[in-house]
Amino acid sequence: MRDIESLRLNQTQKLRFEKALEQLDFLSAAANSNACVAVADTILVDHQDGLLKGHGTTDFDGELVATVCGVVERVNKLVYVRTLRARYKPETGDIIVGRVIEVAPKRWRLEINFTQDAVLMLSSITTGEDIQRRQTADDELNMRSIFVENDVVCAEVRGVQHDGSLHLQARSQKYGKLERGQLLTVPPYLVKRRKQHYHYLEQLGIDLILGCNGFIWVGEHIDTKDDMVEDQVAKSEQQNENPGDNFSKETYTSVEIRQNICRAANAVRVLCALGFNITADVIIETVKLSNSVDIHEMLGPEFYVLVAESEVERRRSSKRI
Amino acid sequence: MLQNKSFVRKTRQGKVVKVVREHYLRDDIYCGAPSCQVCDTKDARLSSSIPSVLVLDTNVVLNQIDLLENPAINNVVVLSVVLDEAKNKNLSVYNRLRALCSNSLRNFFVFSNEYHKDTYVKAMVGESPNDRNDRAIRVATQWYQNHLGSRVQVLLITNDRENKRKATEEGISAETVESFVKSLGQPELLDLLVRPQSDDVHMVDSEDLRPSKRKVIYTEHKPMSEITAGLHSRIYHQGKLRVNRYNPFEAYVGSESIGDEIIIYGRPNMNRAFDGDIVAVELLPQEQWQEEKSLLLADEEDEPEDDVHLVPASADDAPRVANPVEGSDGTMKSVASRPAGRVVGVIKRNWHSYCGSLEPMPMPAGNAGIAHALFVSKDNRIPKIRIQTRQLENLMDKRIIVAVDSWDCSSRYPSGHYVRTIGQIGDRDTESEVVLIENDIDARPFSSQVLACLPPIPWSVSPEDLSNPIRQDLRHIRVFSVDPPGCRDIDDALHCTAFPNGNFEVGVHIADVTNFVHSGTPLDEEATQRGTSVYLVERRIDMLPKPLTEDICSLRADVERLAFSVIWEMTPEAEIISTRFTKSIIKSCAALSYVEAQARMDDRRMVDPLTADLRNMNSLAKIMRQRRIERGALTLASAEVKFQIDTETHDPLDIGMYQIREANQMVEEFMLAANISVAEKILKHFPVCSLLRRHPSPTKEMLEPLLRTAGAVGLSLDVSSSKALADSLDHAVGDDPYFNKLIRILATRCMSQAVYFCSGDLSPPEFFHYGLAALLYTHFTSPIRRYADVVVHRLLAASLGIYKLPNIFQDRPQLTSIADNLNYRHRNAQMASRASVELHTIIYFRTRPTDTQARIVKLRSNGFIVFVPKYGIEGPVYLTARGEKGGGEWSVDEQQQKIKKMDGSVCYSVLDTVNIHMEVVEPQPNRPKLQLTLV
Amino acid sequence: MEFVSPEGLRLDGRRPMEMRQLRAKIGAVDKAHGSAYFEMGNTKVIAAVYGPREVQNRSQQLNDQALVRCEYTMANFSTGDRRRKPKGDRRSTEISLVIRQTMEACIMTHLMPRSQIDIFVQVLQADGGTRSACINAATLALADAGIPMHDLVTSCSAGYLNSTPLLDLNYVEDSAGGPDVTVGILPKSTKVTLLQMDSKLPMDIFENVMQLATEGCKAVANYIREVLLEKTKERQKFHGV
Repeated sequence: MRDIESLRLNQTQKLRFEKALEQLDFLSAAANSNACVAVADTILVDHQDGLLKGHGTTDFDGELVATVCGVVERVNKLVYVRTLRARYKPETGDIIVGRVIEVAPKRWRLEINFTQDAVLMLSSITTGEDIQRRQTADDELNMRSIFVENDVVCAEVRGVQHDGSLHLQARSQKYGKLERGQLLTVPPYLVKRRKQHYHYLEQLGIDLILGCNGFIWVGEHIDTKDDMVEDQVAKSEQQNENPGDNFSKETYTSVEIRQNICRAANAVRVLCALGFNITADVIIETVKLSNSVDIHEMLGPEFYVLVAESEVERRRSSKRI
Repeated sequence: MLQNKSFVRKTRQGKVVKVVREHYLRDDIYCGAPSCQVCDTKDARLSSSIPSVLVLDTNVVLNQIDLLENPAINNVVVLSVVLDEAKNKNLSVYNRLRALCSNSLRNFFVFSNEYHKDTYVKAMVGESPNDRNDRAIRVATQWYQNHLGSRVQVLLITNDRENKRKATEEGISAETVESFVKSLGQPELLDLLVRPQSDDVHMVDSEDLRPSKRKVIYTEHKPMSEITAGLHSRIYHQGKLRVNRYNPFEAYVGSESIGDEIIIYGRPNMNRAFDGDIVAVELLPQEQWQEEKSLLLADEEDEPEDDVHLVPASADDAPRVANPVEGSDGTMKSVASRPAGRVVGVIKRNWHSYCGSLEPMPMPAGNAGIAHALFVSKDNRIPKIRIQTRQLENLMDKRIIVAVDSWDCSSRYPSGHYVRTIGQIGDRDTESEVVLIENDIDARPFSSQVLACLPPIPWSVSPEDLSNPIRQDLRHIRVFSVDPPGCRDIDDALHCTAFPNGNFEVGVHIADVTNFVHSGTPLDEEATQRGTSVYLVERRIDMLPKPLTEDICSLRADVERLAFSVIWEMTPEAEIISTRFTKSIIKSCAALSYVEAQARMDDRRMVDPLTADLRNMNSLAKIMRQRRIERGALTLASAEVKFQIDTETHDPLDIGMYQIREANQMVEEFMLAANISVAEKILKHFPVCSLLRRHPSPTKEMLEPLLRTAGAVGLSLDVSSSKALADSLDHAVGDDPYFNKLIRILATRCMSQAVYFCSGDLSPPEFFHYGLAALLYTHFTSPIRRYADVVVHRLLAASLGIYKLPNIFQDRPQLTSIADNLNYRHRNAQMASRASVELHTIIYFRTRPTDTQARIVKLRSNGFIVFVPKYGIEGPVYLTARGEKGGGEWSVDEQQQKIKKMDGSVCYSVLDTVNIHMEVVEPQPNRPKLQLTLV
Repeated sequence: MEFVSPEGLRLDGRRPMEMRQLRAKIGAVDKAHGSAYFEMGNTKVIAAVYGPREVQNRSQQLNDQALVRCEYTMANFSTGDRRRKPKGDRRSTEISLVIRQTMEACIMTHLMPRSQIDIFVQVLQADGGTRSACINAATLALADAGIPMHDLVTSCSAGYLNSTPLLDLNYVEDSAGGPDVTVGILPKSTKVTLLQMDSKLPMDIFENVMQLATEGCKAVANYIREVLLEKTKERQKFHGV
């Protein structure tokens, strides 16, 4: 995450940026900006109704005290502090993107921005065969043919086991290894849980996966995921026979697509640096906004200001509605 | 409120290190004028009645501090930049300036201009620190003028011509010190002015008056860089110059680099160094070592003038090397005695102000009343000082104080300036004051803050004291005190109770001073500073205020008093079975004098319990004394004298040796025992912060004069240990009864003095007390008159767990500095006592020319030094008239310690008895001195 | 040496009860999960927090709480003379331990079992009180990382020179060799989590000095809280709802 201060804004850009900030201020003032707390701040609550202490709170001498910096949220009787910058807190069913860091017996370990590494059991993935079957020792030996270290994998949170470890599953065609694209990491609070985390940006020809853990995948679009997995398996067999032949074909991505990937990735970077909420729509809008500039200029000061201004515009319009 | 300004400074610590320090500039520094509308006037120090404010430049502060101390200079703003500069250049000036600033009678205000946001000055590129400071002073002056407005005149006083010019350009009114003092219209202030160096504002140079003398008398001092390099390459040797008290043309520099003392002969070799200066010395070629010495005697225009003085009590007072007669070339040994050298530079000056009088001279005519006079210090180690005065007539018969300013190499004498007058020469009060000033003794009355610490009078033991569990009630015990007659500050009392089993309980009860003097109070601080009471012949300068000294703490008879007791159980053979320490309440039943106590013991008819106690104690004391002597303690003798003083006129009526009786020895014995017991106790509890007293063993060289003298009379002394020395002293019995005592007196003066020290500073073998042959010793028994005892009381109380140890004991450097101060004060007090006795001796003999017997103790080329046992004084007897060199008629045999007339008709040898005539003569008006002549 | 002039000013122009200027910034190391930069006058430190994350050395893993690790280093250029500072020398090992223990006292480690939190503090410029500055920086970095804490630990030193208690000693005062009390407190409950002293002091004076240091800690705490709240509000503002 780049620091806004380290941008070299010129005088007019600075003015525009400050104006944008002011407006953001104005827009969010209506919301609960005074609900912000720092560590050890007392949270004012009405003690009459039996309240429930949620995350980020603790009891100190009968007072409710925040243990993290963030925004106080109240849901019925539950009071909790929503942290802004913190590590990912998994919930069952979250779609996440992770990176394999270890191939262990019958499992892979994935870094998913959680307090521990997540576990993806060999038994929790579909190998692409039609029928469910028991994994054999053979499968175990072939684990590296499925995922190896540093592979980027998309999966779903299956739940927390008794021993506290986090387990994932990839029992669907849409999960699995991600290739030909970029992985971006943003603070998890910038990604909201939604129904849809997979986005196919048709006009750009790329796929976008917004992992709940703040890992964002921007990659070349793959047509039918179900086919892909089958193909992959099939091809991997082929690969063994004739690696050289397939290699060039497999890895080729058109320049246009690659540029689009970069644009989308830079859009995410800019949004992340500014701390704006990241959704597919916003990314598309930002990419559109970037059409006037070169890809590398997207990380220049001018574009930051543009994005900030458009964000102001977007919020203002959403307010009106 | 805070503004941050970092600046970069470079310092050199072997390599260049960049130092970055923060410097906060503030807006809460106030101007100190009480009439100021803007500033907080709570701490305003300036006077509102005087319409002008003075701002001083650094050079004025450094040079004219005596002038500043005069009350005529008032309403002064001292800038912090000036203070800092003064501190770096001359610490004593800084301390005096600080004292002025804190003196509530004077309107000196410190303005921290360096931290004020408007007066902080950042050094410009290429600007020297000096210029920057000058600019800071001008900026601050300007600020003051603007701040205080036109109703107050702000005047910058500077002797720096450049600074004055710039100030005037910037519209600041500036003046030199001279013109400012002149404008005050008090001519006597001009005497206080220091003559400026010729490169500054020019004044009439005193040397110009005698152009014939305008030649280079002394060699130029080497520049500092050369000295540093020389010290590094061991060409030069650094050390403190100490001038021989008895011969101001001879000085010693104790050098660590050659591990010996370097002798400096003659003023030219001393090269303008004063006593106490840190100097760099160059060694002379070895063949010149003796030559120089003989040169000295032939060369000096005025012969060292020996005065009659008291017998030195220890080696510290006596001349370091008593080589009495090596002047005549005939007896010269080829044995190169000690390295001789000459001073090439002064590293640190020890100039301060000196007490003395002007050398008599005719009144000069004309010259607008300005006269140049020579000042002769009372301390003969100090050379004459040339001063300029406008009140010559007035000062001629006065004791005055003079400060040294400079010593040019073309000037025979240093130049200085008059500071103040003490009083008429010869007047007893004046001379007493001179004694006090010379010995740095504070005889001022106690301040009100100090007196406020005293308990209300009349004081008596309170019920709280009685019920205090730490305090044992010993009022039922028969306690008594034995002191000199007329003693008012009784700090020790004794008791001795026989147990049924034949053992004795012996108690030493010491006034519980620490019950009244609490650590950290103004009273305590004052006592720390004074260190000891000073006993002059006609008065006593107390360490503690009179109510404490003479009443509350004094263990007088028939009153209840608080005490700190050491109680032993002893066998009849004086073996200590047990020792305990306790705070107590006692009621003394008798305050005896030594004479009374002795009389009681001697009088067989007296059988009362008190006398019985006395006799018991005496027998115990005798055993203890015997045991101590067997251990090797020295019985040393001193030639203490006692005056009988006329109660009306305070003039001495009679003079005689102080007589020591058995009773004295008895009390002394128990005091020693108490001190040793306490020393053991406190050292056990506080191994690193105890205050102890040690007596270093004398070195071979120190004992040499004794051995030589003894050898001359056919006596061989064994000095291998204190025990051996004590034994051979016991065997030194001559044909007359006084012989032994004389030898003992001579032995005593070879010893150095015992000193206080902090136990953490030395290793246990060094704790040894040579004179008492005790492994450990301290002072516990006289807390009323010695501060060391107060410290020891606190240590003892803390070791018993009664009281907490004051914080100061955790600070070893501070404890060491206390011990050093105590040694310094103790020594000064002794010197003052001696000086006072000398003074009274002169007063006594003024009307009573006397013939008496004397003993020769030392030979000189033109006579000998005699010791007059009856009056405890020592002085020269000249065989040849002064001025004539004694080479012709008399010859000295050093081996035999004899002085012979050439024709062999008369011969004097050391320790001979001679009859002398004592008379006070006044060779010059108002300069009385005691003269001894052979009958 | 005179550390407090009779006018009541210290060598750098502060009064005895004054702190040096504080400055703090959140977010100084991009890759870290939480980071901060903290200045106390000329003492400048940077802190980075990684974690909670998977325990690197399995054998150290704790099943009921998080493992806290700390590493203190001094930059080569942090002192007047540029010198290579050996890693893991006695002094930095000791300070690392001190910071670790202090921070452990406030982190709610039980909420993050089987994980590890790494705190790295580096002194960029040293001018006395590096220990305190590091603790303050570490607190900020931990708060930035969103690690739940009982309270903000803050630290400040105080000394006793020229018979005056002095707050927040700078290098010159620190190297005077006088007593130097470093206190770390949890300001909410004024519980002491760190107390160190060089040299000796009598009890009653010690209490005064410690009281002063505690006041200093509270002042730091107020400042740190301001900074954190400011940053949180800013983030919230950008994030929208």
